[in-house]
Amino acid sequence: MAADANATGVDERRSSARQTQSDDVDAAESADDRLLEVENLRTVFHTERETIRAVDGVSFGIEEGETLGLVGESGSGKSVTARSIMGLVDDPGELLPGSSVRFDGRELTDLTEKGYESVRGSGIAMVFQDPLSTLNPVYTVGNQIEEALSLHRGLSGIDATEKAIELLEDVGIPDAARRVSEYPHEFSGGMRQRAVIAMALACDPDVLVCDEPTTALDVTIQAQILELLSDLQAEHGLSILFITHDMGVIAEVADRVAVMYAGEIVEQAPVVELYENPRHPYTRGLLRSIPSTQQGAERLETIAGEVPTPNKAATDCRFAPRCPEAFDACEEVHPVPVPVEEGAEDHTAACLLYPEDEPRKAAVDRHAAAGDEDSPESAGSTGGDSR
Amino acid sequence: MSQQPERGDTGLAGLDCAPGETLLSVRDLRTYYESGDLIGGQPVKAVDGVSFDVKKGETIGVVGESGCGKTTLGRTLVRLEAATGGEVRVGSDDVTELSGEDLKAWRRNAQVVFQDPESSLNDRMTIGEIIREPLDVHDWGTPAERRARVRDLLEKVGLQEEHYYRYPHQFSGGQRQRIGIARALALEPEFVVLDEPVSALDVSVQAQILNLLMDLQDELGLTYLFIAHDLSVVRHICDRVAVMYLGNVMELGPTDELFEDPANPYTRALLSAVPEPDPTAEIDRMTLRGTPPSPRDPPEGCAFSTRCPVKIRPDGSDEVDESTWEAVEVFRETLRARSRTERSLSERARELIGLETRFATVDEVVGELFTDRDIPVSVKEPVDQAADLAREGDEDAALEHLKGELGSVCDHESPEDHAVGTEGRESRCHRHAAEYEEPSAVGPSVGGED
Amino acid sequence: MSAVDYPVDEDEQTLLERIQDEPGPALKLLAVVVPLFAVEFGAVASLVMSLPWSAVGSALPGFLQGLAGALAGVGDALANLPTLLSRSVIDNSGYQLPSGEWVGTTLGLSPAVAWLLRVLLVYAYGFAWMAVGWWVYLVYRDNYRYADWAPVDDMVNRFRNHSWGLLGLAIIFAFVVLALFAPALGPTTVEANISDPYLHTVEYFDEEAGSVQEIYVGDANRDSQSRGQGGDNVGPLSYDQFGRFHPFGTLPSGKDLFTFMAAGARVSLFIGVLSLLIAGGIAVTFALATAYYKGLVDLGVVIASDSIQSLPQLLFIMLASFVLSGTWLANLYSGGVVLALLFGFTGWPGLWRAVRGPALQVSEREWIDAAKSFGQRPSVTMRKHMLPYVVGYLLIYASLTLGGVIIGVAGLSFLGLGINAPTPEWGRAVSAGQPYVPTQSWHISLIPGIMVVIVVTGFNALGDGIRDAIDPQSDVGTGQQDESAAAGGGA
Repeated sequence: MAADANATGVDERRSSARQTQSDDVDAAESADDRLLEVENLRTVFHTERETIRAVDGVSFGIEEGETLGLVGESGSGKSVTARSIMGLVDDPGELLPGSSVRFDGRELTDLTEKGYESVRGSGIAMVFQDPLSTLNPVYTVGNQIEEALSLHRGLSGIDATEKAIELLEDVGIPDAARRVSEYPHEFSGGMRQRAVIAMALACDPDVLVCDEPTTALDVTIQAQILELLSDLQAEHGLSILFITHDMGVIAEVADRVAVMYAGEIVEQAPVVELYENPRHPYTRGLLRSIPSTQQGAERLETIAGEVPTPNKAATDCRFAPRCPEAFDACEEVHPVPVPVEEGAEDHTAACLLYPEDEPRKAAVDRHAAAGDEDSPESAGSTGGDSR
Repeated sequence: MSQQPERGDTGLAGLDCAPGETLLSVRDLRTYYESGDLIGGQPVKAVDGVSFDVKKGETIGVVGESGCGKTTLGRTLVRLEAATGGEVRVGSDDVTELSGEDLKAWRRNAQVVFQDPESSLNDRMTIGEIIREPLDVHDWGTPAERRARVRDLLEKVGLQEEHYYRYPHQFSGGQRQRIGIARALALEPEFVVLDEPVSALDVSVQAQILNLLMDLQDELGLTYLFIAHDLSVVRHICDRVAVMYLGNVMELGPTDELFEDPANPYTRALLSAVPEPDPTAEIDRMTLRGTPPSPRDPPEGCAFSTRCPVKIRPDGSDEVDESTWEAVEVFRETLRARSRTERSLSERARELIGLETRFATVDEVVGELFTDRDIPVSVKEPVDQAADLAREGDEDAALEHLKGELGSVCDHESPEDHAVGTEGRESRCHRHAAEYEEPSAVGPSVGGED
Repeated sequence: MSAVDYPVDEDEQTLLERIQDEPGPALKLLAVVVPLFAVEFGAVASLVMSLPWSAVGSALPGFLQGLAGALAGVGDALANLPTLLSRSVIDNSGYQLPSGEWVGTTLGLSPAVAWLLRVLLVYAYGFAWMAVGWWVYLVYRDNYRYADWAPVDDMVNRFRNHSWGLLGLAIIFAFVVLALFAPALGPTTVEANISDPYLHTVEYFDEEAGSVQEIYVGDANRDSQSRGQGGDNVGPLSYDQFGRFHPFGTLPSGKDLFTFMAAGARVSLFIGVLSLLIAGGIAVTFALATAYYKGLVDLGVVIASDSIQSLPQLLFIMLASFVLSGTWLANLYSGGVVLALLFGFTGWPGLWRAVRGPALQVSEREWIDAAKSFGQRPSVTMRKHMLPYVVGYLLIYASLTLGGVIIGVAGLSFLGLGINAPTPEWGRAVSAGQPYVPTQSWHISLIPGIMVVIVVTGFNALGDGIRDAIDPQSDVGTGQQDESAAAGGGA
């Protein structure tokens, strides 16, 4: 695969990894129109006892102006995915070789810390879950935005202050001229998150990675922030990677949705398609277990068991032990994302039940073959397991 | 000595009522926290005049945003906080004043399940010891009987007997919450306060716990006070719901009715803010501006008046257009925020010697809000005068002035609880009074109406 | 439904019953512990008999006095049983004939070798007990405990992997053995060599007279002095002219420095441990009470502790020990008790401040609220739900403080204010040797000084090790996930 890469470049490399899938998929996923492209991302954390494969072979792309929702339960690896994209994975974590994150055609995984600084500054910005820990309590909010401005846009002095006020106004903070000289503790939770978003916008990013930006907020404040994000997206043409565990928020903000489970993306589809026609048994279970404000009391369906912590390269389906539809092959074959049926190229599921229109045996073989092709590489990259 | 929590032997006469009868009757309950300051300082009015009944065997939900006092309300009912005023009647006893044996009887019959499963179990004790502790405290049965009861409880909440000798560390969040529930049920209480029992859990686990809670209620005839911020969970599990805002119950009623036809403007706003897991759902959202006021210094009139989208306008302001009126409200909000801000020493010094401070920019605010607008004189004059006062640094006077000139009944009087809809529904809003339009007639439609 | 409906649970057995069910591992353990204890049984018995029993006996009614007398007889007999580690088993006192042959020592070994053998035997014995302690933990954990994992296991594992902490533990254990077995470890005893030298004699071969002579220890000491440049000197690892071996050399007074040090270790350990028991007890009680009740209680203790901390501790202790010097209190354990009390009552604010934070943190946990909600008594809540989290921190700071107390006592004794002469104390040795530091008699100050440094470092290392073992921050974040994942099963 490495040999392919230097000769034929990006597209070839991708298709060689996906040869088992139909050629149509490759065409549909041509990298040109994708601003951010994540390919076979594997992030592991080494602990004394084992190696946790927090993100294990995740691939997705975000187009310009699009919002991709990344949804999953705690421990599914969605936040680690965000940090991996931002180059914020520190010891004892590392990206395994073969992982690729491309922004605007530029490979980010082999950048130095300094190179990443410039990307973080002007290309991709991140909004974290807890605004209070993102903001430094000993500097005023204005100071912190001005710092970002001077780092990434070379503004200083009065210019920076004026721009900071303008940014705070943009994110809907009233009385911004006064607020700019206040400290984070003088802001309410929603205001803080607005200020964090203003900081992220200070470097005029193309992609905004939002890691559970509204989880710590009340629902009326959450509504304000979601509204703000959608306004900003329309105004600046932002691409947004929106990470959350809340299926309701995802339904509202996302254009496409990727569902994560145990470090892998198990299903990916346009938002309406995913909610109306969920295919992966996990997605189905997840959607059925949500109580809704629209319906009264009836017994909720549940998914038995717990999210596992992946510590070995997968040789089976990680959801199989909890899956109501599992059959024998699920414990032997590791499923790869495939279109759920002929022609549904934008709806993929990593499940042996798909493609639905193929005979089971053929489908299983297809998954198995894809897994085998991957295995030399994954075996080489899992040396940590033996520790 | 073994005191068995048998039916009919609860120790408090009022607890032995029949299902459907009133178990707890909360009247004008107030719980204030003293401010940390040694001198002066306003108390935090966490619960500020709450009244409702809890019927035996029902699940009553308390919803609201963080800081609305819902958790304090629950803690006051189980005597983890001391009430400042009002009463909580159980039969002829007032829970807020119980002591000695009566208090012990109440503690046996009112239990709590806490929010954070990471923090609610002592992780140096085995699961068996944790669940047994309430039994030990109340001298329940013999030690061997207590152990048997713990095993029984473990099974009841969906754990295994062999978990008796494990430690909390060895369990996941959902399992830990089950342990917390087992502990709360050990003494066979009548009344359980569930303080956000599922908000720390993932949805699939949350569903398991909600099912468990409902099963246990059916089996044991428990009465729940379910505190939550997640409206969908409340809708799912509760028979009746109380919506709290800033220490007040804004609306109270049967769950289905309340969700389908919310009467109070706050309930309507809250419901419309919940994102539905359905991308095709079209919600006409009422986005509220700003944040709730500080419970240290709640507004004089209606608690929700600072954010209410359907606030009643003063008489004679009909000609003022909507956006101008909103600008006035934003101006008041800004002044309020300013008056709350503590001035640092250096700012006071700057003010004294006449240097520019961050508070001196009121003209910018006024300019931004009111230029390019055709403002009637009845609005312009009070705004200009308030701006003058604010320029001199006296935001409080400016606010008083605006309230006097442009305030309505919502700013001046605390609303009554009005009966709405069917029997047993109440909503605290001036708009329910005969002389005003109903909130639903003014704002966008919400809930199941469409 | 009443409690009676529940079948009596037969599953849980007492520890004794569990051992009866599976006696194998416990018997093996016993087979080692019993002989290990038996060889020192006489020493324990004599310790018991040295307590003031006669006072108790005379208070008993008549018919019991006979019984008590009989018991006392048995006790005395037991106390006189030979023990493995007594001085007589390997005797290092004797004299050397011109032929080079040693007379009087065990097996005719040279006193140096005999002494060294005894030291090795004592330390082997001490460390054997340590190993037994570890074994007891393993046997209990693997065979008799119901829980197959407990939080303490992780702490023990973390400590085992903490080499700095283990080094500290080894040093402190060696120091404790030195203190406990001081009479057996010294080449001679405190009574014979230091406190009553004119009541004891030694035999030596007088070359001039050509015969074995007997001389008072006091007189012999005068000829074995270490007095620096130009004067006499008996350095480390050397014999004096009376055939006495001095591992650390002698003091300016001619007394044996090692014997002095070993006895001094007892004093230091006694003062350190007693003062920390006092300070720690006060600190923990206050920390739990202030964290539980907060408010005014907290304020009161803050004021009290601030007032005490505003005193310069050493100056205050000097003043107080001077004021108390004439009283009966000052004579208890040669002034050691007074020092322990003073260090204890002035030292608690520091410890209290150190454990107050953790106590406050624990008091915010919801399980405290849970205990309150079902009506647990405050004292039990503090003991069961707060103390286990605080006691670890107390251990850390206590071991860090203990070094300070030892230095403090040594410093006071150096100034002549601490332990009354002739009771040995390390600081007095440093003080006595001070004029000779640049001379050939450097050992008098330097050896005790270095020992203080090593012991204090050891206590600090031990404290570091304990902290890293118990501090949840040193937990790798994913470790907890593993455990919950390993537990598996339905939620």
